[in-house]
Amino acid sequence: MTSGALATLLAATLTACALPTTTGGSAPGSARLTADLASYPASLDPGLQYDTDSYSVYRNIFDQLLHRDAKTNKPVPWLATRWRQATPTTWVFTLRDGVRFSDGSPLTAADAAFSIERILDPKLGSQQNANFSAIASASGHGDTLTIRTKYPSPTLLTYLTTLSVVPEAYVKKVGNAQFNLRPMGSGPYAFVSAIPGSQVVLKRNESYWGHEPPIRQVTFRAVPSPASRVADLTSGKADIADSMTPDTAIQMKSASNLDVRSAPTERVSYLAFNTLKGGPTDDPRVRKAISLAIDYRSLIGALEQGYGKRVDSVLTPLAVGYPKQLHPYAYDPAQARRLVKEAGAEGKTVVMATSPTYDPQIVQVIQANIEDAGLKVSIDNTDQATYLKKVQGPSHDWGSIRFGQWSCSCLDADGVAYPLFRTGTVWSSYHNTSFDALVDRARQTIDPAARDRLYAQAYAILDKDLPGIGLFQIYSIYGANKRLIWHPDAQQSFYVADMRFAS
Amino acid sequence: MNRGTLTTAAGYLGTRLGQALIALWGVTTAVFFALRLSGDPAQLLAPQGATQADIARLRRQLGLDVSVWHQYLSYLDGLLHGDLGYSYVQHEPALTLITQRVPYTVDLALAALVLSVVFGVGAGMVMALNRGRWPERALMPVVLIGQAMPAFWTGILLILLFSVTFRILPSTGYGGLTSLILPAVTLASLSAATVARITRGAVLEQLGRDYVRTARSKGAGTGRLVVRHLARNVSVPILTVLALEVANLLGGSVVTELIFAWPGLGQLTVQSVDGRDFPLVQAIVILAALVYIVVNLLTDIAYAFLDPRISTVGKAAGA
Repeated sequence: MTSGALATLLAATLTACALPTTTGGSAPGSARLTADLASYPASLDPGLQYDTDSYSVYRNIFDQLLHRDAKTNKPVPWLATRWRQATPTTWVFTLRDGVRFSDGSPLTAADAAFSIERILDPKLGSQQNANFSAIASASGHGDTLTIRTKYPSPTLLTYLTTLSVVPEAYVKKVGNAQFNLRPMGSGPYAFVSAIPGSQVVLKRNESYWGHEPPIRQVTFRAVPSPASRVADLTSGKADIADSMTPDTAIQMKSASNLDVRSAPTERVSYLAFNTLKGGPTDDPRVRKAISLAIDYRSLIGALEQGYGKRVDSVLTPLAVGYPKQLHPYAYDPAQARRLVKEAGAEGKTVVMATSPTYDPQIVQVIQANIEDAGLKVSIDNTDQATYLKKVQGPSHDWGSIRFGQWSCSCLDADGVAYPLFRTGTVWSSYHNTSFDALVDRARQTIDPAARDRLYAQAYAILDKDLPGIGLFQIYSIYGANKRLIWHPDAQQSFYVADMRFAS
Repeated sequence: MNRGTLTTAAGYLGTRLGQALIALWGVTTAVFFALRLSGDPAQLLAPQGATQADIARLRRQLGLDVSVWHQYLSYLDGLLHGDLGYSYVQHEPALTLITQRVPYTVDLALAALVLSVVFGVGAGMVMALNRGRWPERALMPVVLIGQAMPAFWTGILLILLFSVTFRILPSTGYGGLTSLILPAVTLASLSAATVARITRGAVLEQLGRDYVRTARSKGAGTGRLVVRHLARNVSVPILTVLALEVANLLGGSVVTELIFAWPGLGQLTVQSVDGRDFPLVQAIVILAALVYIVVNLLTDIAYAFLDPRISTVGKAAGA
């Protein structure tokens, strides 16, 4: 039984019952918040994991070096108040004065340097290592943090918005295991207690340097079933729930005490083509035909219930370096049929690799769309591990098309172009030397205008060659009590300090 | 008990223990290799944008860069020293993570077991002793519905009724006795129905026996009949089904735990499979197997205690 099916079941039942709804469990002004997450945070140590649920919790306990502006998505000061680039590979940051960890000890540049070096240390086994691998070293003296990169890295600031600063002395004193159990930081909230697998309670950090958060105490609960999260919201047990589905959104809209809050994220739903050993998809005309065969509008309207937005490349407009000159993909089934005929591919079979991780309904709609264009589609559905082994294998023997969802958590054109399409990278089954040269140069170009120009050229090549097509930009969906004042942002950051109840 | 019977009992126990150990080793080996066949954990754990070098580094960190046989032998070596491995995702020893969750699952399973025994045995007895009369006709549909309803459906209906509509019980989560009621009832509904049917069958079978007729003719009332005569004789089939249910309740609470956000082993299992956390999956499977094996072993021993013919049945047949 999948959670999606459960949610649908509940949605149907709830609608049938036409339930009366009343105000939530948190009385107005009590300023306690209960948030339902899809799973218990894998880690409370910000050096280790960065899955959504861990992030949602620990980013309230710790301060990050930089934040992103919710509107422009540009890195803005947070713990670091200003920064400059001393050389192409040396960055110098000045840290905020008077920041203290919740045990009263001051936060220094040495703590920031320690937080970076800790993630880079192979002994910690951090899953975040890959995001910071451009860094050669970090050192801190007083309020000055110096970061040296192995090569000029234009995405450094981007990744530093995800860096939570941990207290060096405390971590060293209690050890990594204990720190994971009882995290301590300088953020707006301090750890109170946890029941592993069930809930984490945080309370307001009374000595926080920033503005005083309106919410005094927050309880994060792990509630895996979306149907149960809807029940919690409806019955008032929870004030906000994360990771809701389009199905449950319809359900929540009909409850008088609930709101659906959603925001476009940088996650994009896409199709990638095997252009090297894909059979029919080796021919660019077939790839073009498939891009014309897909009914993007109904995909978003009917399956995503409108919680999606059209894109014109495998990248969302939120990303730095997003090419402005591209046009959205057109839906033109007649032209698609003509192109398939012209390429001599009529009646040929394209193999579509997918795994149960991805929405089977979308896969089936795409299959029907492509078959309308005159091709046969054979779906090759294997578990995620086998799927990855196939599509990431260097032999490129995985079929013709694969369906996927992509987010680099970096809001940058490089985070899509490079890993998905650069020759020889993990996911790429595409080869174009001019494209490779452009993304390689952009990777080491610091000047934003110059980078934009390089990505404009690189994405123009992708638009012509079509090694992949973007289907839609994915939305984050939250269910919330109507009295809760908060709106989600593109980074899915869950800052409780920004939330308050209407009085 | 004479010396001969004791030797037989010891031999029987020894054989059963040996079989249990072999089964446990088999499960360990199967789960170890099955997981490895399903793909490269480093590939699954690495972030989407990771390069080949990042993945290779992760593989080294996780100790996956040596041959599978090498990994298997060092895993077995660890197991013999009580080391069940280290969670890739949660960065804690698998055993710690599991032991944190066991009490919740045990609480839930025990509560469900008590409900199953009380309602199952009770309903079964009532149905058998009132065969063809209204109590049986009233209870039978309830039992059938209990057996037919899947846990995810029962659970959601109970939440809708008692949490959303009436607001008398918490919908999800762990917090005291009230939070235990709905998940326990959900979990118990299927096993209570099973126990009721088995009990009814067992009692009906005994009711036709001579000793029951003799007791009845001597004027024994229903109460005395049940306590003095039926109880021991129907206990073996009921115990058999209860033993299976105990293992099911402990291992099969996955769906119930997910619906009710109960922080037990079921939830941990799903999270670890989702997160491709191989050491944790292995540890859970091995411990679940251990529970099944131990429960079965204890059941066999309990049989031998209740009905001495069972442990020596091989000998008796040979004699």
